[in-house]
Amino acid sequence: MKKKISWLLVISMILAMMAVGCGSSSSSTSSSSKSSSKSSSKSSAASSGGTEKQKGDTFTVGFDAEFPPYGYKDDSGNYVGFDLDLAEEVCSRNGWKLVKQPIDWDSKDMELESGTIDCIWNGFTITGRESDYTWSEPYLNNYQVVIVNKSSGITKLADLSGKTVLVQADSSALKALSEGGDQAKLAATFAALTQIPDYNTAFMNLEAGAADAVALDFAVAQGYINSNSSFIMLDEKISTEQYAVGFKLGNTALRDQVQKTLDEMSSDGTVKKIADKYEADYGIADSLIIGK
Amino acid sequence: MKLLSVFTQLGSGMLVSIGIFVFTLVFSLPLGLLVAFGRMSKFRILSWIMRAYISIMRGTPLMLQLLVVYFGPYYLFHMHISTSFRIYAVMIGFSINYAAYFAEIYRGGIESIPDGQYEAAKLLGYTKKQTFYRIIFPQVVRRILPAVTNEVITLVKDTSLAYVLAVTEMFNIARQIAANDTSMMPLAVAAVFYYIFNLVVALAMEKLEKRLSYYR
Repeated sequence: MKKKISWLLVISMILAMMAVGCGSSSSSTSSSSKSSSKSSSKSSAASSGGTEKQKGDTFTVGFDAEFPPYGYKDDSGNYVGFDLDLAEEVCSRNGWKLVKQPIDWDSKDMELESGTIDCIWNGFTITGRESDYTWSEPYLNNYQVVIVNKSSGITKLADLSGKTVLVQADSSALKALSEGGDQAKLAATFAALTQIPDYNTAFMNLEAGAADAVALDFAVAQGYINSNSSFIMLDEKISTEQYAVGFKLGNTALRDQVQKTLDEMSSDGTVKKIADKYEADYGIADSLIIGK
Repeated sequence: MKLLSVFTQLGSGMLVSIGIFVFTLVFSLPLGLLVAFGRMSKFRILSWIMRAYISIMRGTPLMLQLLVVYFGPYYLFHMHISTSFRIYAVMIGFSINYAAYFAEIYRGGIESIPDGQYEAAKLLGYTKKQTFYRIIFPQVVRRILPAVTNEVITLVKDTSLAYVLAVTEMFNIARQIAANDTSMMPLAVAAVFYYIFNLVVALAMEKLEKRLSYYR
């Protein structure tokens, strides 16, 4: 009898600890930001509008920290990038506190849906994903390009036949090369189209010769070429697309707030100013859609 | 990035990794003992529940379990979760996973104690509780220490799986720096950190084994 009671106590203790762990997280969020109790009850339901953010709220940007120049770690260890700079400007104009949350790109949808991040803002391609998220207006043009080793002798897309090509999992390069994508026929000629979780691994593969090509976004490719002269970019592009800020499907209230600020920044030249910071290394000012 | 800067950044990430490591051990070692008791219990239902728990925890990837612990409250119970829950989810996920492994190690150790020990203890008038804590358990600890050392060393390296919940532990930071520098150097530094950490753990466990081998 004593044993039974002590077991029941132990099991209920364990359950209680887990409940406390979950409960303390929701109570700590309500104490840390002012009106989050309002937003927590709304964001858990699939509301048609979402909630507007008030001054003093936190604005969490989810980004892939291995994606220069849009979001990356600089030499002093801070998270910087074109998109993060835009987000900072938006936050300072709205009185929000910016939280830069590097995320695992594979879990980006879960992070956005569960509300641990407010938006995905780092070279996030809208083309092909229009109905999956609530989007801002596109702000940057982009191309998917292919990088190969100079020594490989590959000069055009057709040369990739019979080669191993790498793409990041869940990227728009993958979409373009998969069934139904713009370049599905080209992809059918590859020896293999392999998905990798991050670009650093992809480039290590390319350098070592384990893969023949990497298909990725133009500016990121430019960054890798800058630091490694044995890579070149093919002239032919795989696809053209646009970048926008992605919010949880239905969160139109927050999207409208951010869009309004982006429009202001575009018309007063702030967007161009921020883009010029990255001009020398990456040349993104030419691809701007807004704020030219 | 300068080598010194890499070291300091990885160092601060190492603190997070060590935190996860310590917390997981502190929670999973006792929890594993409880699960082992449940597993060996005479009550069929309890034994069955514990066997199911051990089977699921050992049979599914730790990364998957971390995702379930973190996103589960939202998807299953529609509870609002926040970024501050990340580190808690990591610690809970690791603890319940490793408790299952430790439970089986404990069970192996306890069941390997010959019946003669129990009989002798009974003759000497020890109660069941006293028998366990004074006679059986010290011998069990000595027997399972090599297996526990294995798990502890595995845990040191498994802390890198916390990246899937975007926790900035050391290996995650190393990968981000490596991506920015497009070089392998930060990963090599990370390997050095892990090796030194593991060396310290292995040496500590060896010392512990020596101290406990007072019969040999």
